[in-house]
Amino acid sequence: MDAGLLEQMLLGALLGLSVYLPLRCGQLSLATPGFFAIGGTVAALLSTRVPALAGSGSTYPITSVLLEMALAALLTGVLALGLGRVVLRLRGIYLAIATIALVEILRVVTLNLEFTGGALGIFGIPQPFNSAAGYAAFTLALLALICWLCDRLEKTRPGRAMAAIRDDELAAASQGINTADTKLLAFVLSALVAGITGVVAAHFLNSWNAKLGNFDASITTLAFVVFGGSRTWLGPVFGGLLLTALPELLRPVGDLRLIVFGAVILVGPLFFPQGVITPELFKWFKPRIGGITTAAAQGVKQ
Amino acid sequence: MEGLLQLLFNGLSVGAVYALFALGYTLVFSVLGVINFAHGAIFTMGAYFTYLLIGGAVGANGLLAGLQFPFALPFWLALPLAGIAAAAVALVVERIAFRPLRDRGSDPLLALITSLGAGVILVNLIQLLVGAESYSIPVGTLGSLPAALSIAGAKVRTVQVMLLAISGLLLAALSIWINGSRSGKALQAVSEDPVTAQLLGINSARVIQIAFGISGFLAGMAGGLVGLSISIAGPYFGIGYGLKGLGVLVLGGLGSVPGAVLGGLIIGLAEACVPADLSGYKDAVSFGFLFLVLLVRPQGLLGRPQANKV
Amino acid sequence: MNLLQLEDVGVRFGGLRALQGVDLEVKQGEIFGLLGPNGAGKTTLFNVISGLTAPSSGTVRWRGASLAGLSSHRIARLGIARTFQNLRLFSSMSCLENVLVGMHQHARQPPLAALLQTQSFRRRESQLQQEALALLDLFQLEATAHQDAASLSYGDRRRLEMARALASRPQLLLLDEPAAGMNPSEKDELRELIRRIRDQFKLTVLIIEHHVPLMLGLCDRLAVLNFGQRIALGSPDQVRRDPAVIEAYLGGGT
Repeated sequence: MDAGLLEQMLLGALLGLSVYLPLRCGQLSLATPGFFAIGGTVAALLSTRVPALAGSGSTYPITSVLLEMALAALLTGVLALGLGRVVLRLRGIYLAIATIALVEILRVVTLNLEFTGGALGIFGIPQPFNSAAGYAAFTLALLALICWLCDRLEKTRPGRAMAAIRDDELAAASQGINTADTKLLAFVLSALVAGITGVVAAHFLNSWNAKLGNFDASITTLAFVVFGGSRTWLGPVFGGLLLTALPELLRPVGDLRLIVFGAVILVGPLFFPQGVITPELFKWFKPRIGGITTAAAQGVKQ
Repeated sequence: MEGLLQLLFNGLSVGAVYALFALGYTLVFSVLGVINFAHGAIFTMGAYFTYLLIGGAVGANGLLAGLQFPFALPFWLALPLAGIAAAAVALVVERIAFRPLRDRGSDPLLALITSLGAGVILVNLIQLLVGAESYSIPVGTLGSLPAALSIAGAKVRTVQVMLLAISGLLLAALSIWINGSRSGKALQAVSEDPVTAQLLGINSARVIQIAFGISGFLAGMAGGLVGLSISIAGPYFGIGYGLKGLGVLVLGGLGSVPGAVLGGLIIGLAEACVPADLSGYKDAVSFGFLFLVLLVRPQGLLGRPQANKV
Repeated sequence: MNLLQLEDVGVRFGGLRALQGVDLEVKQGEIFGLLGPNGAGKTTLFNVISGLTAPSSGTVRWRGASLAGLSSHRIARLGIARTFQNLRLFSSMSCLENVLVGMHQHARQPPLAALLQTQSFRRRESQLQQEALALLDLFQLEATAHQDAASLSYGDRRRLEMARALASRPQLLLLDEPAAGMNPSEKDELRELIRRIRDQFKLTVLIIEHHVPLMLGLCDRLAVLNFGQRIALGSPDQVRRDPAVIEAYLGGGT
């Protein structure tokens, strides 16, 4: 398979996880592309405007990328903390619309600001890797790490609290769960994942502009989760990988590919209302996948 | 004074289109409690239907390259026919993207995804058939009407007056229908409480179809009108309107018909008031409003608050 | 000191007075019953105590301190647990998970330990599981521990709600119509069960129930509500003979 496509698929899986985190807590937030765009803009600005980060080698240093990721995480995290307090008072479709509005406002502002390059965006973002395969390896490690964190989250107290809120927020509060803080946690984690993903995407794409965080992206990323399933982290990963690959895999059918893509997201929820990956399926998969991700995550740490 | 009047007209005519757009959303929302994300695509279809019916020719890039109907209808006839065609599209969307979910008793929020899927199909179908180029409805379409009128010293484009008049007419007809007819009352009953309405013998499946039909008709007409007043800027041009329509919808109050009208006019006027050197930010006005309203008064200007049942 | 004290509590929903001038004292260790016809305001009273509905007037005191302005999760953390009249289980979770969520306040572990699955984390986690299983066992739900809560029978769901409420180790347990939908023999068992958990967990129980014989046989003291007002208070014997109660139950033309 083409490593460039693989990289896009991995980025799709990461964005899927970002949408999944609030949704597992019952919160339909479509803010992911907004935080993704912020992460990408941070990376684009830092790597093109701060000479100190460029290093002396032929490729852009990975440590600089990691630094950008940390800064993007800090910025999106703080922003999500503030915004989340406000928007998470809304429920259901109201929250969805409010987050769409946030993403659109951000897009319009980015489009009009001088320092973000306006409509054209920022070009010539330096490359930390010489090949798409390098990006794919780096992103795979990142994805494995985040999957592992999600897995730990699901199996522990905050994860149970999130699932409880999703089932019945009022009953969850009656068990002593601080529902506001738990929802905020999910929202902030979602923003962090999206922001970090934006950093990687900006380097990979080489240029960055306001279009990358628009409404289409909100819905497409939501489709990853709805299609894959939102009960376990494996769902959005599967949905993100598959649905990102689909338009490319459908290239042979030419102009029909986006129509087929539309048909897939139209028909998917009809046949898999819980998403393709359900906890039952997950239990069956767990021994293999769980082992692989843990091993991969340990590989990252070394 | 003239400037102010001009501003008012610009704002109201744009606002009227937003109102038509948001009404379509609100009709569907009031019966199903979800948003039809294919609405923007149906609006776009209405614009293309209008263009074809007045005798416009398809460009060179689609499967239908060079197609032109052997007749050219006058605009006043083409527009409602395009509305009806768009209504038919809306009914198809209901059939494939909404009804199967209801039949299976699935989570209604899934309709956000399925309707988006339907929208993606429609938009790309348009692109496949007639290409991505933009079309404009020729000036001569309105026959002998002058291009601009002078009202109280202000120069106003005839198209804008028409837009305003037709929208006003449609809104009036809609409110008479909702409050005066049997099917309109059935719609209100279903939006109040679908289960009870069903028990009272109201065929809610039928009411939902009616809501989609009217919603599609309004969207199709709005598409034709915008196509006339500005242009048909490619298959994706309905999406921007679709998003602004969301702002209008929330500002007015989800599910509220007068709210959709009020919200449309307010946002249209507010956009018209954005000074020229900040025009880049115009598109954010609707969302800024939306955001503020959600925080201060989530039920919107004319909507009812959500009940929190224990 | 009274465990729970309500002083002149009133609730208005728009023009409707759901509760009006209700005074109530619940003593440590007693089983206190709330009787009254439908719409008398019993569940509203529970909602006020558990922080879901803010009283329009009056004060609720817990061990002498006012609960005013506390959100429901804070009140739960003080040791007040409840069940719901129309069952609010976490339906996508198993019975065991439902009870584990009930243990939320006691299940806190250091995040790093949870992340790295340290020995002590795993030991504590399995200890919590054992505790949850023991609770399920008490309510005869051990066989269904790994089934989805949604798949249980009605009576089992009622019992699971009680198990979940007990999991938070409350001092006061609010039971909203725990016998609804149960058959007579289940109701008898329930009476014994409530007594047993009261003794075993040193609980105070405040219970709403329509079934008068059950209430008279179970409760140490009873209050009767009608149209949002307390019309009687006392031992089962006193309440049974109270003319206002007889009027409310028989005179109103039921």
